[in-house]
Amino acid sequence: MIYLEEALRVLAANKIRTFLTTIGLIIGVFAVISIEVLGHSMAGSISETLGALADDSFVIYPGQYQSDFDRAAIRMSDLTNIVATVPNVATAVPLGAMRMLIRYGHDEGRFVVASDSNPPFADLPLTYGSYFSDEDIASGADVAVISWRAYQRLFPEGGDPTGESIYAGAHRYVVVGVLAQPRRGVLNVNFGGDISIPYTTYVREYVHGDRVFAARFTVKDASIIPQTEVAVIDRIRQLRQVSNNVEYQTFDKAAFTGGINQLFTGITIVVGLIGAVSLIVAGIGVMNIMLVSIAERTREIGTRKAIGAQRGQILAQFFIEAFLLSGIGCFTGMALGLAAGGAINSLFIVKLTGYTAPIPIVQALLITAAFALVNTLVFGTYPALRAASLDPIEALRYE
Amino acid sequence: MSDAAVAIDLAAIAKTYKMGSLEVEALRGIDLRVGRGEYVAIMGPSGSGKSTLMNIIGCLDRPTRGTYHLDGTNALAAIRLRKLGFVFQGFNLLARTDALKNVALPLFYAGVAARERNRRALAVLQEVGLADRAHHKPSELSGGQQQRVAIARALINDPSVLLADEPTGNLDTKTSTELMALFDQLHSGGRTIIMVTHDENIARNARRVVRLLDGLVISDDRSEYEQAGGSKVL
Repeated sequence: MIYLEEALRVLAANKIRTFLTTIGLIIGVFAVISIEVLGHSMAGSISETLGALADDSFVIYPGQYQSDFDRAAIRMSDLTNIVATVPNVATAVPLGAMRMLIRYGHDEGRFVVASDSNPPFADLPLTYGSYFSDEDIASGADVAVISWRAYQRLFPEGGDPTGESIYAGAHRYVVVGVLAQPRRGVLNVNFGGDISIPYTTYVREYVHGDRVFAARFTVKDASIIPQTEVAVIDRIRQLRQVSNNVEYQTFDKAAFTGGINQLFTGITIVVGLIGAVSLIVAGIGVMNIMLVSIAERTREIGTRKAIGAQRGQILAQFFIEAFLLSGIGCFTGMALGLAAGGAINSLFIVKLTGYTAPIPIVQALLITAAFALVNTLVFGTYPALRAASLDPIEALRYE
Repeated sequence: MSDAAVAIDLAAIAKTYKMGSLEVEALRGIDLRVGRGEYVAIMGPSGSGKSTLMNIIGCLDRPTRGTYHLDGTNALAAIRLRKLGFVFQGFNLLARTDALKNVALPLFYAGVAARERNRRALAVLQEVGLADRAHHKPSELSGGQQQRVAIARALINDPSVLLADEPTGNLDTKTSTELMALFDQLHSGGRTIIMVTHDENIARNARRVVRLLDGLVISDDRSEYEQAGGSKVL
C-alpha cells in the first residue's frame, strides 16, 4: 500500500509536529478509555458483590437516630397483618441480629447471630453442607449456617464441620453449612451475621415480647418494589399509630445498585464531555496541520498530477495521511487509557472488592476506531479535497 | 508527413489569460506539427509564450481556441497524460523516496502491480545508466543523477512524447553536456523529445528549433540538424 507507506514517511519526517498534533487526540481518547475500563470494572464488581442478593426482597427497619425508636419498632403481629393487607407482599419474616459468645470445644469467639429464612436474603456459595430447609424453619430447628470467618475461628483444624455442635451461651446448634470464603473488601458487605439460624428459632430464643428489629418482605412482582415499600411503610405507621415524621428505612438490591450506577453515569458523562471537547480541539489541530502539510507540498502535488495522478488518487493519499495521524493519536490514547485504567483497577478496585473485571478490549477498540474514523472524516475531508483540486500548473509554479 | 507519423498536431492554438480586466494573449495562433522520433527545441525570450505552449502540449492547460491532436486522437486529458512524460527544471522528485520508487510512481497511478512496477522501473533506470543507484534517495544523488531519475520517471509509461521544461536549468555545463548526450541517445532510440530552453548551446543539440516571440512562431528551423549531418529526414 503505497499511500500508507508515503503517509508514514511524511509523518516520520515530521516527528515533533506529528507528536504535537496527536497530543489532543491522545488525551481525549485516554480519558474516555480509562473511564470506560474503570466503569466496567466498578459495575462488574458491584454486580458481582450484590449478585447474591435476592431480587424479590426488601428490608425495612426504623430509622435508628430518632427519639421514639421504641414506639416505631415493628411488632411480630404487624407482619401477618401486612401480608394480609398490602397487595404484592408475599411473605414477611423478622430480621434480627445480636452479638454472642460462640463456642466449639475449646475454641470460642464473639460473633453476630442473625436470623434468616429460606431462600436466604444473600444466596452466597457454600463450602460445606447446605442452607437450612423449609422444615428447619417450620419446626424452629436448632441449626446454623456459619460464615467462613467463624469457621476458621471455631474449627482451626479445618475439615467438614457439618453435624458438629456449637454453643451460643447454653444453647446448642448443629452446623449444617459453611459459607465460602468471601472476597476481600469494603464492597463485599456482610449481609447476614456470622451465625445464621432460622428466623423461627431466633424469634423463639431471642425475641422478648413482640418487637423485632427489622423485617424482610418478599414480593410477587419485583418490578414494583419501590411502590410496595411505600405501601408497607404506610401500613406500619398506621399499625404503630405514629406520624409521618417517624422514619423507616429500606434496603433493596435495585435501589442500592441504582444509586451506585447513577454516580458512575454522572462521572462517565463528565469525562465523556472532557474527551469530546479535547477531540474537537485535536481534530481542528489535525485539520490545521494537514493544511500546512498540503501548502508545503504544493509542488509535490503538482508533480504527482503531471505524472498522471487522478483527483481521487490525491484525495486518497491525503485522506490516508489524515487517518494515519488520527489513528496514531487515538490508538496511542487507547493504549495509555487501557494501561492506566488497568493499573488503577488492579491497584485499587481489585484490592477493595476482590473482583477482577476483564479489560473491555473490544469496546475500547470500537470506541477508538470510531473516534479515529469520525475525526478523519470531519477534519480530513476539507484538506484532502483542497489538495485534490489544486491546479497542476499553479502547483508546479509554487515556490 | 502522413498522419500516422505525426505525434503532435497543433492547429491555430491561442491562449488568452484574464488578469482582472486585462486580457493577456499568451499564444496567438500556433501551428505546429511534430513527427514521431523528432527532437525539437522550443526557444524564445521570457514572455514569448513557450511555457504556455508547453503546458498545452503537456495537457496541463487547455487552449482558448484551436485544436490539439496527440497521436491522432483528441482524447481526455487523463488518457493523454499517460502518453506524455515530463521532465522539470527542478527535477521534482519525492525527497524521502528512493530512485526506484520515484521512477515507479506513474505506474502506481496507472494501476500497475508492485512487482511489475519495480521490474519496469529498474529497466528504465538501466536505460538512463542509474541502475546501481536504484535505492538511493534524491539527497544522495548529484543534480545530474537526479535529473536522470526524473527522465527515467518520464519514460516509464513509454510515452509518445518526452516533454522537458528547461531540463538543464539547474545543472552546470559539464552535467548539462552529459544530459544532452543522454537525450541524443534517447532520440536515436526513437523517442520523440520536445524541450523548452532559452540556452542556445542546449538548443543546438536538438534537430529542429522552433522560436517563439509574443505568442507566435517566428522561425522553424531544421537546418541545424542538417548541418549536423544527420540522416533522419521527415
